[in-house]
Amino acid sequence: MKKEIILVESRDPAFQDLVLSTPVGEKLATCMQCGICAGSCPVSHEMDYNPRQLVRMVQLGLKNEVLNSNTIWICTSCFSCSVRCPRGIRPTELMETLRPIAIAEGIKNKNERFDGVFSDVVRKNGRASEFLLISKYSLKEPEMIKQAPFGLSLFLKGKLPLAVDKMENTLELDTIFKLGEKVEKKEKENKENKETGMKTEKEEPETDK
Amino acid sequence: MTENELAHMNENTSTKSSIPENGQPPKKTGVYLCRCGGNIGDLVDLQSIADSLKENKDVLVNIQDYLCSGAGQEKIKSDIEKGKVDRVVIGSCSPKLHLETFRGMAKKAGLNPNLLEITNIREQASWVHDKEGINPKVKGLIKGAVARIGSIEPLVPLEKKLVNRTLVVGGGIAGITTALELADAHEVILIEKLPFLGGHMIGLSKTFPTLDCSQCILTPKMVAVHNHPNITMFTQTEVADVRGSPGDYSITLRHSPRYVDIEKCINCGACARKCTTGAIFLPFAQAVPQAYMIDMSKCKNCGACVKVCPRDAIDLDAKEKTSSVSVGAVAIATGFEPIDPSFIEEYNYPAPNLLTAVEFEEMLSAKSKTGMRLQKADGSFPSRVAFVLCAGSRDFTGKGRKHCSKVCCIYSQKQAQLVRKMKDEAEAWIFYIDMRSAGRRFEEFYHHTQEKGVNYVRGKVAEIIPKQDGALMVQYEDTNLGRKGRELFDMVVLCPALIPSAGTKELADKLGVPIGDDGFIEEKHVKLDPVNTLNQSVFAAGCVLGPKDIHDSVTEGISAAHKVSQFLGKGMILIPPEKPMILECNGCGECVKACPYNALNLENGKAVLSPLACTGCGICVPACPIKGIEIRNYTRNQYKAQLKAILSEEPGVIVFIDPYAYAAADIAGVNRRQYSSLVRFVNVPSIHILDADVVNAAFEYGATGVMLIEGTTDEKLVSHSDELYKKLKKETRKHKKPLRYSHIETAQYEKLTDLLNVFAAQAGAKAQKKNKKETESEE
Ligand SMILES: Cc1cc2nc3c(=O)[nH]c(=O)nc-3n(C[C@H](O)[C@H](O)[C@H](O)COP(=O)(O)OP(=O)(O)OC[C@H]3O[C@@H](n4cnc5c(N)ncnc54)[C@H](O)[C@@H]3O)c2cc1C
Ligand code: SF4
Ligand code: SF4
Ligand code: SF4
Ligand code: SF4
Repeated sequence: MKKEIILVESRDPAFQDLVLSTPVGEKLATCMQCGICAGSCPVSHEMDYNPRQLVRMVQLGLKNEVLNSNTIWICTSCFSCSVRCPRGIRPTELMETLRPIAIAEGIKNKNERFDGVFSDVVRKNGRASEFLLISKYSLKEPEMIKQAPFGLSLFLKGKLPLAVDKMENTLELDTIFKLGEKVEKKEKENKENKETGMKTEKEEPETDK
Repeated sequence: MTENELAHMNENTSTKSSIPENGQPPKKTGVYLCRCGGNIGDLVDLQSIADSLKENKDVLVNIQDYLCSGAGQEKIKSDIEKGKVDRVVIGSCSPKLHLETFRGMAKKAGLNPNLLEITNIREQASWVHDKEGINPKVKGLIKGAVARIGSIEPLVPLEKKLVNRTLVVGGGIAGITTALELADAHEVILIEKLPFLGGHMIGLSKTFPTLDCSQCILTPKMVAVHNHPNITMFTQTEVADVRGSPGDYSITLRHSPRYVDIEKCINCGACARKCTTGAIFLPFAQAVPQAYMIDMSKCKNCGACVKVCPRDAIDLDAKEKTSSVSVGAVAIATGFEPIDPSFIEEYNYPAPNLLTAVEFEEMLSAKSKTGMRLQKADGSFPSRVAFVLCAGSRDFTGKGRKHCSKVCCIYSQKQAQLVRKMKDEAEAWIFYIDMRSAGRRFEEFYHHTQEKGVNYVRGKVAEIIPKQDGALMVQYEDTNLGRKGRELFDMVVLCPALIPSAGTKELADKLGVPIGDDGFIEEKHVKLDPVNTLNQSVFAAGCVLGPKDIHDSVTEGISAAHKVSQFLGKGMILIPPEKPMILECNGCGECVKACPYNALNLENGKAVLSPLACTGCGICVPACPIKGIEIRNYTRNQYKAQLKAILSEEPGVIVFIDPYAYAAADIAGVNRRQYSSLVRFVNVPSIHILDADVVNAAFEYGATGVMLIEGTTDEKLVSHSDELYKKLKKETRKHKKPLRYSHIETAQYEKLTDLLNVFAAQAGAKAQKKNKKETESEE
């Protein structure tokens, strides 16, 4: 991946202030770049920037790269980093803080395919089934073929049961999902209205010119 | 009874404190104001102050350009000698600079030095205010000083005879050095918890940065301690109890049984050859003292060793014993211990081949149980060894320790070099966060280790997973590459946080010495008094003051010996005479409970002071429910008179300040940090002397606000500050004026001036509002 030179322009003090003013921001300045977070993270090798690097970039206010990284979407919220960080920084919560900021900026979930499959499976069965998850995800993500040997060895060890352990009443769960979708839709509408409103305001001075 | 107490009983002269000749009012107070070139004179209208003081018939005023000069001092001296004045107030620079000078002059002129006081009108006035408001402030402060000096008792410092003997606690390199350095001039008792001397150093292999063999340089010193005629050494011994007071302690020692008489044992080993369980042994070949000992958990009490011992040295029925020693000074050298890394879940300690650095060193030291061979649990040589730094150090989560353990960066490189030296193909990896190699010869050592082919990885190890075959999987991020890695090792060495030895706090408490929040002994001054403690007769050296290497431990050992020697060499100590007087007592014992230094006791139903143990903190004053206690020269009435005079000029903010915070105010002056001229400092030995009586008086005389500023770090006092503040707040509420408490360490002078400004503004605003309300309601 091409990495940009850090310039004054790449730094966004407003973004920096925004993140530093959140609960997780309080301790960010004390990161000593020890790397135990990235060393502990089960998925850091899949990330554009690992948790340690992300913390550093937030410190610098590299807004674009931070919000456009896949890091914040790939994080599985396993909390390994947060439990081990010797400075009491909680990278997991940093990811959680950054996701809505990214969404607000109109940046799309970089892990949408997997997250979509995951919520589908959960919605239908009430539980995550590793087998369904992997087989459905493989259909959408051709790269998954590379994982086939690993999947096979898991299967042979009995770690990928075929039987789906379904929840009894998935109807109630479905209602919850629907409610969530409703809220999401509303928020989106609100935002669009706001944006168009802002646009007209912005345009005015331009016509002056 | 301690030696000194006996001496007191016999002579009863050591504690002199004269009381002013009955009723004789002071003749005249001389007020000498210094222009300090223009430093003071340019801003403060000293002449107008002098004029207004002259209204008081008992005051003589004089202004000089430089009071501290020969001419300036001569003027004061001759006034005293001629009998013109018999009390002196000086308005000049800080008493920290010249109080000793002026008091020395007063003494020569035949005046009790206590009858001379300085009002600081430079660092705490002309350097920190502009012209506005400075005159009424200075005038008030000087008048306050005049009011105060009139009622000062001419006390004489207390004298105490010192016991010329020192107890050194801890037989590591720091304690050994202290003892040896002292022993030529003073008697020393050295106690060590373990059955042998040497501390951690005797468990080291080679020593960085020069790689000389640890036992080769240490053994001669251990032997010297053992043989020195002025050193009495006890192993397996700890401090059980401390009585007496600084300079004159009676200390009870607890001796655990060794079952073999050190003096009798000739080290022949006949006993060990007979013992079937291996219970009787020599700790290690070079151990000092050279004598066998018994591990009772292994002994089956068969008596075979007793029969065969040619010297009758063995006593299987030996019991724990105590003994008492009388000493004038104590040096604490109890060193450190490694933190137990098992709390770090992801490292899975303990596991086979997963050791601490201390265990690694011991394998290659005089204490080795493997014949000084580095080996894995299965006896084979580890070809791949990882060193994991910061195991429990630099941790701010509360699970580990915040501090950097200082020596790990260097000793791990030493250990890595040793691995590489033992076998050419052997690999040594060091996982570090920051490679700290500050100081002479250390960067070169780092460079040399790199040249030796040690692999450095910058990254804190994330996980250590023991495998079935005894190998250890290490997972980490190479932060220089931003890549995660996994590596299998034969042996992993954890470099644990170095923490104070177990029992440090208990020992410190017994000796009345504060420890820091990291558990190490607190120095009297971090930089300027590094081996003194807040107890003038207790000193410290080595790792009990924080992790450090041998060089620094030895340096501190030598320093502590010098300081002890200097202390004991005087034979006597002078103790400030401003102690409590017990004017009235109903025997309730509240003061006894309140005194953090055990200076008060009930005898025959009355409180009695041990003046030599008393620090003069004054916390007993408000503790007495019948107001029966006053500190000499800091009585409630003296404070009230001073406050009344200070505030007679103009209302202001009264700031009660202790000596440590006073020093911060002086630094603010030196740095010309401006603050409100409404601030009027009033010195207190500690803020804990204050009660509502005095604070209410300040409000009544017109203070718009009162602040308590504390600078001491003595936990024994600071732990009561919140309580004091709340109590005062409640009991002075009726005045509806602001009261504030703040802790300011000497270095925090900027914080101090910010606080003063904010508070003065608040107090002023509140006073204005109140005035407005009052005038409105009058209308
Ligand atoms: C793994 C490792 C390797 C090191 N390598 C080097 C090196 O190569 N070069 C170097 O310069 N430094 C090295 N150091 C540092 C060195 O060990 C210390 O500087 C030195 O040992 C400190 O000496 P000390 O006397 O202050 O403390 P200690 O060595 O800890 O001695 C304190 C002594 O006091 C005793 N004690 C404790 N509590 C009590 C009590 N309550 N009553 C009586 N006795 C008590 C203890 O039993 C002990 O004998 C290393 C440290 C470690 C951990
Ligand atoms: S674990 Fe904490 S201190 Fe270490 S790099 Fe990650 S965020 Fe920074
Ligand atoms: S919480 Fe996220 S960033 Fe942290 S270790 Fe787990 S997956 Fe990695
Ligand atoms: S009494 Fe027996 S078991 Fe105990 S130390 Fe002596 S020989 Fe060994
Ligand atoms: S002044 Fe302090 S040390 Fe002295 S007796 Fe009172 S409480 Fe104890």
